[in-house]
Amino acid sequence: MIRRGVIGTLAVLLAVGLLVVLPGSGGAQTKTYKIGMSIPVTGADADSSDAMVKGAQMAIDEINQKGGAAGNKLELWVLDSATPAAGQYDPAQAATNYRKYIADGAVVGAIGTMMSGEGKAISPIASEGDMATVSQSATNPDITDPKFKAQYRPKGKPVFFRNVTTDTYQGPNVAVYAKKTLNAKSVYVLDDSGAFGVGVANTFTKKAEELGIKVLGRDRLDPKEADYKTILTKIKGMNPDAIYYGGVQQAAVKLARQLHEIMPKVHKLGSDGIYDLSFPEQAGKDAAEGWVATIAAPDMLNDAKAQEWINKFKSKYKRDPQNYSITSYNGVLVIADAIERVAKAGKPVNKSNVREAIEKTKLNTLQGVIEYDENGDIKNKVVSVYQVKDGKFKYVGVAPEN
Amino acid sequence: MDTETSWAATSPALARWRAIPLGRRRQLLSVVLLALALAFPFTGVNPSHVDAAANAYTYVLLALGLNIVVGFAGLLDLGYAAFFAIGAYTYGAAASFQLKPAWSEAWAPLVWLGQVSRVPVDGQPDIVQLHFSFWFMLLVGALICAVFGVLFGAPTLRLRGDYLAIVTLGFGEIVPVLALNLEGLTNGAMGLPGVRTPRLFGFDFGFSPLPYYFLGLGLVALAVVVSLRLQESRVGRAWMAIREDELAAGAMGVSHVHYKLLAFAMGAAVGGLAGVFYVAKLTTATPDMFRFPVSVMILVMVVLGGMGSVRGVVIAALVLSFLQSTILQELTGYVNALGRQIGSGWLAKLQLINSLELIFGVILVLMMLFRREGLFPSVRRVSALTREQQAALPSRGTTVTLSWADPKPAGASPRPLLEIEGLTKRFGGVAAADSIDLTVRAGEILSVIGPNGSGKTTLFNLITGLAPRDAGVIRLEGEVISGLRAHEIVQRGVARTFQNIRLFNNLSVLENMLVGEHTRLRAGPLGAIFRPPRVREEERRAVESALEVLDLFGNRLIPRLDHPVYGLSYANRRRTEIARAIMTRPKLLLLDEPAAGMNPAETLELMDLVKALRTLGITIVLIEHKLDVVMDVSDRVVVLDHGVKIAEGKPVQVRNDEKVIEAYLGRRRRAA
Amino acid sequence: MSVFDVFLQQLVNGIALGMMYALLALGFTMVYGIIELINFAHFSVFMTGTFFGLLLLNALGYTGSSGALTGLALVGTLLLVFVVTMVATGCLGVVIERVCLRPVRGVSGTAPMITTIGVAFILINTILLTLGPQTKPFPKIIPDRRWLIGQAEISLSQVLLVVVGLVLMMGLNYLVRHTALGKAMRATAQDMDAAKMMGVDVDRVIILTFFLGSALAGAGSLFFGFYYGFTAFYIGYQTGLRAFTSAVLGGIGNIPGAVVGGLLIGLIQSLGGQLLEVKWTDVIIFSILIIVLVFRPAGLFGVQTPQKA
Repeated sequence: MIRRGVIGTLAVLLAVGLLVVLPGSGGAQTKTYKIGMSIPVTGADADSSDAMVKGAQMAIDEINQKGGAAGNKLELWVLDSATPAAGQYDPAQAATNYRKYIADGAVVGAIGTMMSGEGKAISPIASEGDMATVSQSATNPDITDPKFKAQYRPKGKPVFFRNVTTDTYQGPNVAVYAKKTLNAKSVYVLDDSGAFGVGVANTFTKKAEELGIKVLGRDRLDPKEADYKTILTKIKGMNPDAIYYGGVQQAAVKLARQLHEIMPKVHKLGSDGIYDLSFPEQAGKDAAEGWVATIAAPDMLNDAKAQEWINKFKSKYKRDPQNYSITSYNGVLVIADAIERVAKAGKPVNKSNVREAIEKTKLNTLQGVIEYDENGDIKNKVVSVYQVKDGKFKYVGVAPEN
Repeated sequence: MDTETSWAATSPALARWRAIPLGRRRQLLSVVLLALALAFPFTGVNPSHVDAAANAYTYVLLALGLNIVVGFAGLLDLGYAAFFAIGAYTYGAAASFQLKPAWSEAWAPLVWLGQVSRVPVDGQPDIVQLHFSFWFMLLVGALICAVFGVLFGAPTLRLRGDYLAIVTLGFGEIVPVLALNLEGLTNGAMGLPGVRTPRLFGFDFGFSPLPYYFLGLGLVALAVVVSLRLQESRVGRAWMAIREDELAAGAMGVSHVHYKLLAFAMGAAVGGLAGVFYVAKLTTATPDMFRFPVSVMILVMVVLGGMGSVRGVVIAALVLSFLQSTILQELTGYVNALGRQIGSGWLAKLQLINSLELIFGVILVLMMLFRREGLFPSVRRVSALTREQQAALPSRGTTVTLSWADPKPAGASPRPLLEIEGLTKRFGGVAAADSIDLTVRAGEILSVIGPNGSGKTTLFNLITGLAPRDAGVIRLEGEVISGLRAHEIVQRGVARTFQNIRLFNNLSVLENMLVGEHTRLRAGPLGAIFRPPRVREEERRAVESALEVLDLFGNRLIPRLDHPVYGLSYANRRRTEIARAIMTRPKLLLLDEPAAGMNPAETLELMDLVKALRTLGITIVLIEHKLDVVMDVSDRVVVLDHGVKIAEGKPVQVRNDEKVIEAYLGRRRRAA
Repeated sequence: MSVFDVFLQQLVNGIALGMMYALLALGFTMVYGIIELINFAHFSVFMTGTFFGLLLLNALGYTGSSGALTGLALVGTLLLVFVVTMVATGCLGVVIERVCLRPVRGVSGTAPMITTIGVAFILINTILLTLGPQTKPFPKIIPDRRWLIGQAEISLSQVLLVVVGLVLMMGLNYLVRHTALGKAMRATAQDMDAAKMMGVDVDRVIILTFFLGSALAGAGSLFFGFYYGFTAFYIGYQTGLRAFTSAVLGGIGNIPGAVVGGLLIGLIQSLGGQLLEVKWTDVIIFSILIIVLVFRPAGLFGVQTPQKA
């Protein structure tokens, strides 16, 4: 008994050890640079994450077809940041993934993170490794806020670059839109318990109060809850002009359906969390009608320039892209551009040099010119507003800043 | 066993290994494993694997903590992640930008100690930034969790196992919701901002995985040592006794309130350590990190490794953590590559990580159906009996002495040992005991007889405090013992056996005996962990005392010292139970049908023992159906019928009592 | 809406919600009453039921964007869908009992309960892996008819839910109290061994109990789908735990108690959300669960059953 136990133990340890020691997806080859992308491939955000990975992959394929970045082939190294224990993204797993990127000399930068929660966990690690990561969708302002420099970039230099603006703009701009365009006098604010949703709802609430919109209340939806009739009945009793919902798809779909039954006429405001092309279909055509969504970037999908890109994406991947497919795509372009500039300057292409080059990015893309400020935030702080009409998101315009 | 013998036979190396004593072997193995673990980061592995290993150590800690609660004490906790959360937020709140109390002079001593700083704010009063030492908070976190463990555990003490599980599940659901909604304390869903990394003598742990790896390893080693030492101690035996049979544990003097709360507290404390460590490493925490799936994952680790098996739990926790963080990811890479090679779209897209929860479910079901003791059950040191031992003639005890016994001539004591007055117990409308008056004299053998359902066992339950009485008084040596709890009554010198043997089935004969010694030992959890000479000495004496008692049974039990009792013969289990009762050094021993199921020779042997015990000064009350035995061995006989004492006297008197013949024997005759 | 109308509307919401919990609570209560097992798999059977219903409706040609049905088509479709789904979930319950639970029946301690947690995980993840994580729209074939009481509305699906729910429960109560099967069930619940000796086929009784309980969960799952218009792999856990709380509140093992408990939990959820905030719903409900278990384990209406040895 005892001996069998001991041998079993050793066998298991050996097996674990072997799997751990075995190299990941093949050894590094010369002249192939890897770009990391740690993203919740599985779990609750699997669909959005798929759209983003495909956006990034499309950029990689195009660059490689044209002969690569400064003649070097690029490779996207996707790691899942979701764990079953969390059921969605897991900051600890994201941290592990970034350590993997930093340890690998062939990795020159990364696309990500998708979620602000992951961003907070990996930013200090990226800072230690002096590696740039270009986020396609993380909008929490803390990560790049110089106030939290000691925490999120202990080495001081910017590492967390983003192709989207932050919730400092997204929430407030919608508040301005509600005041100026919709002339809303009162609003009830809901969030979905998630880091993003709570944050964006907070910034919305603050701005709405400043603008003199009466905030009738604030409550929190459990995204796994089925019944929102209770809270909606309560809100109906207060008779607000508008409802603001900060959060992502999971709760939004159910909220839209039940809201439609209870208060079909109220103004319905959301964020980029519901800007998902499947939203009208999942919520139901009638229920989705009239919902306002935003993205923290200029409009691209309805832009004539982007049509060619969108068609290409659709034919290649047999699915619809999202705006953040484009910000992911652009993330790869930013890194590739930095590689070219580093190579041109005759410096070795490595994490540090690429990171440094990204600071000076000035790149014309589908979302306009990408430039970053000294903290890594995009200079173009445009928030675009969309509204669902006839089951489709229609571009309304740029949300006013003031 | 066969395969093992043949290996040993063919391999001299293994034979030599086997020749080393078990304790030594374990030590050697531990040293080798520890050395391997220490060397692991320097074997050229990818630092991300070191990071994953540090995370895995967190899970090992959690699993070891849960193992104390579920494995040792048998209390199924489905909300264990709550303690992980409480530990994490304790450190997170005390060492981050989250709490910003206003400055006042009261903070000055802490500034001097370097635990907080005064931070000026433009145009507003100064605030205090908390950055309590990680090492200090490790202790505080564990303590706070221990307190919560007691708080969450206390309401469950009276509940059955499955209700207890649901209550813990409830707490496990409430804690993350509180973390989400109490934003002032936790920053809710946005996550704790800027938790400080640990510092040690000016060295900042920072964001490299290496220091965390070693810290985690240290904590795991600590938890392993603590678990192992607790397991083989008075405390661990008390837990396992409660797990095996709460009622019998109480009858041996184990306070289930005390030990259940202790298990909750210690389990929670380990969870708290894990929480503090994890949040210091991750530097942020969100409520989602502590939900039900995390509790289940920890439970799966314990179930897979084997509840109560420290070694098994460590292995299972390591394997499952790596499965989640690394193995499935890497395998996915290989499978996808294979899929692309052979042109299988399904394989190329397969995400194995998705199936982890499915794997958890399958593990739980398969383990419960086929291997409830886990893959690596706690070691049972069973040495098979030699042929000679098996064939040996049963021998009676050579010396019928007990060093602690105080033989007094029968009837020497002026007061009766036990006095019962007006004892009454009703179940609904039926009186199982109806105003019973009874005295037991010191040094006598008193038999209680009566037809089935006449209230004999109820009488025992009332005397030993296992059932609450409705009326009446019970005195032992003049002191009232009615109303005391079971373990207190044992401590005063009343021990019993049960009609349907209630041994701790998965414990060995020796361990069962040592539980009997529980009330005489003093070691608490600290003593169990640090094992000062005092504790070693009392353990040594306890084992001696156990051997002395077992010697009363000749060669019946001594050769089977290390055998789990579920494997013993029926008669040997009866003997073990009696021996265990004698271990408590009773003045009064209540034997409930001790000869049931024994053959005539065994019965005779037992009755000789009973008489011998009396000569050692132990007073005996016996419930027995074998009337010839009763008549032979008893000094006096009491007859119960329908909860009423209908006769009392010497065996001969009772045998000839008309009422008894009618109520008892008469009815029997008719029934036959 | 006046304060009174809001209150009335919350009552209506709470009763409809509570009826759904009650349908699910019955399954818990029956199984617990008979084999003293807290059956976590019941949540997942409920969740799987919504997908059985959804797949069937899709196969019949109804999708998330289909309009409402009327007249005979509605009645016929509903009957068909209910019967098929209830039989399907009932069979699922039987399979779970036969394959996973019967081997551990009689094992002391928490092993059977741990098994049901495992089964729950297997079912949830099987659905997740085969049908995906997205929220699925459920066809709204029940017409959106509403009646006004003051400003408060009662919808046809709420009325249907309450009426059908009550009919099913009364049927169940009749079955348990006045039929031979019911007598066998009660006998098994009292003392399995004695029932066996009296010639009750205990295995059959237990299987039928699982079938009935799971079939009721199937009915509940269809109401869930029609009422909320969606389903997803994760819905079982939360709804299930609340239903379990209902069963505990009403006295686990007590059939009318489960119904009253369900209604109470539904009302507590809707009025609690109205008076406090919905973000505290889970804290309120789990606190009730803990308090009842600790201080009144027999529930509000339960009779203290004799402790089984």
